[in-house]
Amino acid sequence: MSLDRTVKPFPKDEINFSLPAVESLKSNDGLQIFMAHKDNLPLIQFNLVVNAGSKLDPEGKKGLSNLVAMTIDEGAGNYNSLQLSDQFEILGTSFNVSADDDLITFSIKTLKENFKRSFDLLKSIINSPHFDVKDFEREKRKVLVRLLQIKDDPEEIADILYEKLIFGGSNPYAYSTLGNDKNLNNIEVSSVNTFYKENFFPKNSALFIAGDFNREEIIQHANSLFENQNDKKTGNFAIDSTEQKETRIYLFHKPDAAQSEIRIGHISDKRNENDYYSKLLMNNILGGQFSSRINLNLREKKGYTYGAFSRFNYYKDAGYFYVSTSVGTENTVNAVKEILFELKEIQNGAKKEELAFSKSSIVRRFPSNFETNKQITSNLISKYVFSLPDDYFNNYIDKIENVNLGDINIAAKENISVDNLVILIVGDKNKIANELSQLQLGNICEVNEFGEIIEE
Amino acid sequence: MNHLDLAYKKYMLKNGLEVILHQNKNLPLAAVNIWYKVGSANEVKDKTGLAHLFEHMMFQGSQNVPKEMHFRFIQEAGGTLNGSTTLDRTNYYEKVPSNFLEMILWLESDRMGYLLPALDQEKLNNQKDVVSNERLERYDNQPYGLAWEIIITNLFPKNHPYSWPTIGFMNDIKGYTLEDVKSFFSKYYSPSNATLTVAGDFDESETTELIEKYFSEISPYNNIHRPDSNSPQLNEIKTITHEDNVQLERIYLAWITDKAYANDDAVMDVLGDILAGSKNSRLYKNLVFEKEIAQDVSAFQFSGKLTGMFMIVATAKPNVKLDELKSEIMREIEKIAKEKVDSNELLKSKNGIKANFISSLQHVDGIADQLNSYNFFVGKPNYFSEDLKRYEIIEEETISKTAEKYLTKPYLELRIIPKENPAATGQEK
Repeated sequence: MSLDRTVKPFPKDEINFSLPAVESLKSNDGLQIFMAHKDNLPLIQFNLVVNAGSKLDPEGKKGLSNLVAMTIDEGAGNYNSLQLSDQFEILGTSFNVSADDDLITFSIKTLKENFKRSFDLLKSIINSPHFDVKDFEREKRKVLVRLLQIKDDPEEIADILYEKLIFGGSNPYAYSTLGNDKNLNNIEVSSVNTFYKENFFPKNSALFIAGDFNREEIIQHANSLFENQNDKKTGNFAIDSTEQKETRIYLFHKPDAAQSEIRIGHISDKRNENDYYSKLLMNNILGGQFSSRINLNLREKKGYTYGAFSRFNYYKDAGYFYVSTSVGTENTVNAVKEILFELKEIQNGAKKEELAFSKSSIVRRFPSNFETNKQITSNLISKYVFSLPDDYFNNYIDKIENVNLGDINIAAKENISVDNLVILIVGDKNKIANELSQLQLGNICEVNEFGEIIEE
Repeated sequence: MNHLDLAYKKYMLKNGLEVILHQNKNLPLAAVNIWYKVGSANEVKDKTGLAHLFEHMMFQGSQNVPKEMHFRFIQEAGGTLNGSTTLDRTNYYEKVPSNFLEMILWLESDRMGYLLPALDQEKLNNQKDVVSNERLERYDNQPYGLAWEIIITNLFPKNHPYSWPTIGFMNDIKGYTLEDVKSFFSKYYSPSNATLTVAGDFDESETTELIEKYFSEISPYNNIHRPDSNSPQLNEIKTITHEDNVQLERIYLAWITDKAYANDDAVMDVLGDILAGSKNSRLYKNLVFEKEIAQDVSAFQFSGKLTGMFMIVATAKPNVKLDELKSEIMREIEKIAKEKVDSNELLKSKNGIKANFISSLQHVDGIADQLNSYNFFVGKPNYFSEDLKRYEIIEEETISKTAEKYLTKPYLELRIIPKENPAATGQEK
């Protein structure tokens, strides 16, 4: 009997997926702890996050938080920088610390048998970093050279510049975590020490653990993680974002660029539980994945690009919406037109099938977000950063399912603008400026790497 | 309990399709992973990049799957999917909730057996554009993006199967015809040239039946060309300088070494660790930490079915001469080739490797790909423990002996330097 291939096979019965049980509690000194036990492999992932990201960098010292993260593991307790690195290596433990806009995150992956020794090393880094001036100066020079290297990479230029343009001026999120040359030269090891003392304390931090751990042991360790019992936040932090009132096109000239990096978007609300789900689904229809409208149009239909996507980018205290792609220089203006077309088109709403597709793809993908320990801790970190409800993961699927077509249309109308856009193009000005001005979308300004207008 | 001992079942369909099944019930997920034994090494002059082009054409629908629906069906099921191309093979893979396994088998078998009837000029033109853009984005418009291509085209002898880039040369990409694509498919995508691995939460007998149902009717064909296996040599030192839109100079040193899973392959991995795998590794400590003449340094073994290479890459700090970097690198090589390494240096590398083995078992899709990889290279899907053993048995003396064996031979040196008169004047009005 020959097989009928024309019919797509139906799925078997629904799967049974149960979320890993998450326990959250507080240590004696106020450190929040989130634990998810999983014992299929003898591994433990733990992350310590400190609310000490680059948004707290003081004026004139942009790049400070990142330097704290880079220097804090350059020697601690009884070990100098190289010895400390050896201590982790000999355990086969991977250790990493990095800063982003909101947090400094310590990320450690260890075999179960080496958990205690790995945790003790973290404890030593948290409580007795050396902040030796020699190490600090070396790390600072590394960042300065890194800034120089970024000038080579159109994608990185675009990403950094876009946040500058979209947040504008004095908004703390406008600055790259790496800082800039001028500011870095103002930062001394004493600033690092002060920033560390002001921010590294239990009530300003949270610990996340996934894997095959012993609960009592974790609580005991967590209770003694911090020596600093400070409990007041001293850094001040205010968001001052200026709403864009018209569309502006910014051009960063990259001579001889083979492609143009394009970013199109605008400021949007910060993450909030009320409209998060309708925005997520709407964006999924618009440009959130491969089969979304923007990629199907720009890549699969027009062949302008290797990929084009849109997203709502959320920080703890701010958010923005943007479309990003990289296209052959000759298709720059065409690609901008098509993106604008899609932004307009979504204002007319979505189709029933599109919503059904997006729901299905998000709901059914849910279990695979909990496969590795690292995925689990990173899910828990978002829950913490955005202060999501305790039952967030339990209700996630219902909340997605409850979104209807009307909600999608409202989400598009309220959250996607076609009039007040920030458009950034990093590419060869000589090959695109003329054609771009014929679009008559708004003023075209040439900007330098600091987002300063050099020619209007 | 030995976590690295993975139970599996391996068998072959009548048409030659090899099947590997591995049960893992941690989550209700199933991973499907197919390796076609075709990579860029199977290509010929003027038609480079065809194996990679298939990594695109295979997502353009097949006789019973309309264009765009391959992606859509899988994303609708909450699945993830992709493919990748190397010198030796191309893989296609999906991870879905396990109740969608049958749909994946339908999709994979449809494009294995019935891709050509759905192939047309329009799809080809579109994907040629996409691949050209991929090449621009990932190589031509990337700082140092052409380094790899320059290295392999010069390290391996002319016409050696590894001497062109997997993405293909731009002119070749632009020139593919429908005939090229069809004839390439008819050479390499036979079920008898592929291995299908399913890993995850599924019922074994039911899945065996489904695989039979969807794949067994696909006819095999046998005109498969395999690239010659040989061990190329570099007879003299080669030096190349390439100008690029970069701020910092970078040096690449490449030696021809041993092929994947051969005796010296694992030793060279460990050598890479000892030289540049951590803060206290020899080159990192010397160049980046102490002398601060380099911004970064890396050292690694890269190996395929036919041969392998060892590479050291270092980026100079501003105003540092590449000659200075090179002489420090050469001094460290000389030293490690002469003197036994410290027992701690070796132990750090071994422990890191062991932890990574365990950690890699967290993803069911990673497991599926690894089973296929072991099967392809050594013929044993459950090779995890033996693979780890390759590293565990390495002794201190072996490192220096192996370093001497390869790294004192002629090498290829590539220097990427900033363009002399960059168009980047930034002055034009």
